[in-house]
Amino acid sequence: MVLVLALGDLHIPHRAADLPPKFKSMLVPGKIQHIICTGNLCIKEVQDYLKSLCPDLHITRGEYDEETRCPETKTLTIGQFKLGLCHGHQVIPWGDLDSLAMLQRQLDVDILVTGHTHQFTAYKHEGGVVINPGSATGAYSSITYDVNPSFVLMDIDGLRVVVYVYELIDGEVKVDKIDFKKTTATTHSAH
Amino acid sequence: MSKEMVKEEAPSSSGVVSEENRPFGSLRSVQWRINLGILPSSSSSSSSIDDLRRVTADSRRRYAGLRRRLLVDPHVPKDGGSSSPDLVMDNPLSQNPDSTWGRFFRNAELEKMVDQDLSRLYPEHGSYFQTPGCQGMLRRILLLWCLGHPECGYRQGMHELLAPLLYVLHVDVERLSEVRKLYEDHFIDKFDGLSFEENDVTYNFDFKKFLDSMEDEIGSHSNSKKVKSLDELDPEIQTIVLLSDAYGAEGELGIVLSEKFMEHDAYCMFDALMSGAHGAVAMADFFSPSPAAESHSSLPPIIEASAALYHLLSIVDSSLHSHLVELGVEPQYFALRWLRVLFGREFSLQDLLVVWDEIFTADNSQLHRDSEDDESSSFKILNSHRGALISAVAVSMILYLRSSLLATENATSCLQRLLNFPENINLKKIIVKAKSLQILALDSNVSSLSSTFGGAYNCSKSAVVRGHSLSSDSVSPKTPLSLVPDSYWEEKWRVLHKEEELRQNSVGKQTPSGKKRWSEKVKLSLSRTESDPSPARAENCKKGHRSSIRRSLLEDLSQQLGLEEDAEKGGCLGASNSEDDHCIEVLVEGDNCTNKESICAAEERCESGSGTVVSDENSSIFSEPASPGSGTNDHENDTEKSSVASNLFIDENDDHQQSNLEDSPLPVSLPPEDVPLNSLHENESSGKMVSAMKERRHLSGRFQWFWKFGRNNVGEETSDKGGTNEAAKSPNHDCKRNTADSLTAGASRNSSSTSKGDAVDQNVMGTLKNIGQSMLEHIQVIESVFQQDRGQVGSLDNFSKNILVGKGQVTAMTALKELRKISNLLSEM
Repeated sequence: MVLVLALGDLHIPHRAADLPPKFKSMLVPGKIQHIICTGNLCIKEVQDYLKSLCPDLHITRGEYDEETRCPETKTLTIGQFKLGLCHGHQVIPWGDLDSLAMLQRQLDVDILVTGHTHQFTAYKHEGGVVINPGSATGAYSSITYDVNPSFVLMDIDGLRVVVYVYELIDGEVKVDKIDFKKTTATTHSAH
Repeated sequence: MSKEMVKEEAPSSSGVVSEENRPFGSLRSVQWRINLGILPSSSSSSSSIDDLRRVTADSRRRYAGLRRRLLVDPHVPKDGGSSSPDLVMDNPLSQNPDSTWGRFFRNAELEKMVDQDLSRLYPEHGSYFQTPGCQGMLRRILLLWCLGHPECGYRQGMHELLAPLLYVLHVDVERLSEVRKLYEDHFIDKFDGLSFEENDVTYNFDFKKFLDSMEDEIGSHSNSKKVKSLDELDPEIQTIVLLSDAYGAEGELGIVLSEKFMEHDAYCMFDALMSGAHGAVAMADFFSPSPAAESHSSLPPIIEASAALYHLLSIVDSSLHSHLVELGVEPQYFALRWLRVLFGREFSLQDLLVVWDEIFTADNSQLHRDSEDDESSSFKILNSHRGALISAVAVSMILYLRSSLLATENATSCLQRLLNFPENINLKKIIVKAKSLQILALDSNVSSLSSTFGGAYNCSKSAVVRGHSLSSDSVSPKTPLSLVPDSYWEEKWRVLHKEEELRQNSVGKQTPSGKKRWSEKVKLSLSRTESDPSPARAENCKKGHRSSIRRSLLEDLSQQLGLEEDAEKGGCLGASNSEDDHCIEVLVEGDNCTNKESICAAEERCESGSGTVVSDENSSIFSEPASPGSGTNDHENDTEKSSVASNLFIDENDDHQQSNLEDSPLPVSLPPEDVPLNSLHENESSGKMVSAMKERRHLSGRFQWFWKFGRNNVGEETSDKGGTNEAAKSPNHDCKRNTADSLTAGASRNSSSTSKGDAVDQNVMGTLKNIGQSMLEHIQVIESVFQQDRGQVGSLDNFSKNILVGKGQVTAMTALKELRKISNLLSEM
């Protein structure tokens, strides 16, 4: 019952002022155990705000991030799952599943979270999951039209992960969920 | 489950509980379930094993249903078949309070609180209590109970109540498994060499094991036990088998001792304990901060129960009680923990089980009161046998620490001792004493003194003044003198005050009468042998509780003095008899007299009178008060020493009182005091004279204290010695006005007093009473010190004996010092 929040591409203050108020009201401290952020926050104040939601914060560096010390990729293990984190602008073509799968194999993770496209996607691929939480603020993107604010909450429970997607469509929060079960425990090397 | 926990001493340690009350004596969990009301008791209805099993099964079903309902797993969809649950509501971040996730998070909060306590539960028995299985069960039980009782919530301490319940279940299951090993045949279906045993929750039919067992079967034929039929077994084993038979009523759900359903059973026991099972004492009340609905006092139940404890203690051992009250040790400081956890933190686990055996055996049904007017002052906790026993156990524990408590002089160390109950204790003694106190507790609840209760415990923790506590002592009709009063400090204070009184009343009114009064009073109060001071006081009491008591005491004094008119020892008494009558009348006359001095004077007189009484204990007691008085005079110091040291004070008093009479170096606070002094002169008994002198030397401080009593005296009997009375009264009156600091002030006041005889009488009576009481105690202590052979000391006071010896000497020294002090004051005046 570990709740992991995945979000990114906020582009505050350049392209957006703040998170949508409806999202902000949902994000209360105490419920979430980990936050993974794909990048492009861009300033430290946003980082501090996220840290107030949960002390365990993981960030990878996006191309507009002003915090230069964050790594390009990150892997972490939560429960039985290995998670991989990367901003995604390094993987070209941007948003291409096969290229991202390559990164996933490279990092050897079950769940890969990347961003940059400002569009929510979630693929089940080769025994793993590739998730793009989109842009939490709905910031402008040169490769995506009609960006809707969105983020992802993962509920990791044993060998099963439930992915809740929160999207702000026409001013309303829409929730969707995806179930994913891992076949083998992390101790085994085979996928 | 760790086996070492099971190696407890056999139930023989709990030999205090009679066997006929405990049909399942060796199976604590079953016995407790019967006592707590979950299972039908064998005596109520001729319930068989089958009934027990059925009730067990029902209670388990209830718990399982509760668990399914309340333990939320958000992953499981609400209704199995619904296709798309409303995700907007049911997502983890949903703010909707109805969502399953919302409930899940609320439960998680509660669990966190419970876990905090559970992680610290019984670390000394961590091998059982800290195992994840046990912790999980405890957590679930507490969680479900708190969810079922949202008004109570979870409070620290509930886990301590639950843990022993689970433990006894575990012990019984272990016992069962032992029995199973020995008597396999009754438990296992063994046919064709196949045995389908149920291990833990699931059994795996392992072929390999089966083959092995086949071989074992063949090989062990020679070793197999002869199969006994069920009836041939011990009754105890038989019971165990029947209770655990898989084919009995309700099948496996009805197996009364079952490992699988330990959680269910523990929950039922816990629920019954907390809710009181329709009895009077419900543990849940002790956790609630607000007053109970039908409570008569506006206090939270735990405070009320703590007050009941102190009330019981005051009846049993008033000196210890007043000592604690004076130190400011409120009962709830320690009683909160004692009661909330039912002494779980005071005893080791095995001892605790014995104590709980006793407590649970006591019936918890509400006792009905006959008289309606007692409702207002009765304590809820004492409304049942079980509650009374709980209070009695607590008081018995306090008494166990009596000596160490009385030795401390500040509240912190007192509390330290109370909260760190010693490890190696004679549990049997405590329990036996508790049982005897239980009867007392039940009785006392009927006649509980609301005034005492209210005065001491109402709302804010009002500082209980010494005078107040003493007054309550005088009020209580049964001041138990069975226990030697070890109130060292109280006596010291009393002696001091006595001397003050004596000084101020030196020239008091009717010294002789006062003496007589005093002697009577003291005699009566002394009645440590036979006569009960309370009747004396009771007799004195004519109007108003305080004054009446005082009056009765005085009257008794006079009576006794009159009776002993002819006695040698009472020679002086005889002489003072007439005076005593006067005095008594005077005293009685005193009504609402704020003239402390009069009381003091009267008391002094009594003192002196008492001083004259010789020979028997009473006389010795009298002499003791007299001796302090005599000590006020410089030349009396020596005699006082000896008098204090021995029970025969009179001789010295006689010697010195004479001199005192002549002396009166002390400032005569009351000119009218000359009258009593003169009467003293007339009095042949020197003792009386001394007392007269003492009356003169009445310290104003003393006055004030006695004035308090004097005020309460409503008696307005005309005094024959109106003149003297008034004279005495007036000084007292004046004295009363002044703060109890300057003797000279008192003296002047005394002189200016005029006709306030009544007040004086009142005061005199009051002071006499107080002095008498203090003298009594003082004497008792000294006597006990020097008469250690006498087995007055109760069993619990054994340890106080040694202290008494030391204290007696100290007391003697103290009295001596006080007398010196008084004499100094007198010399100043």
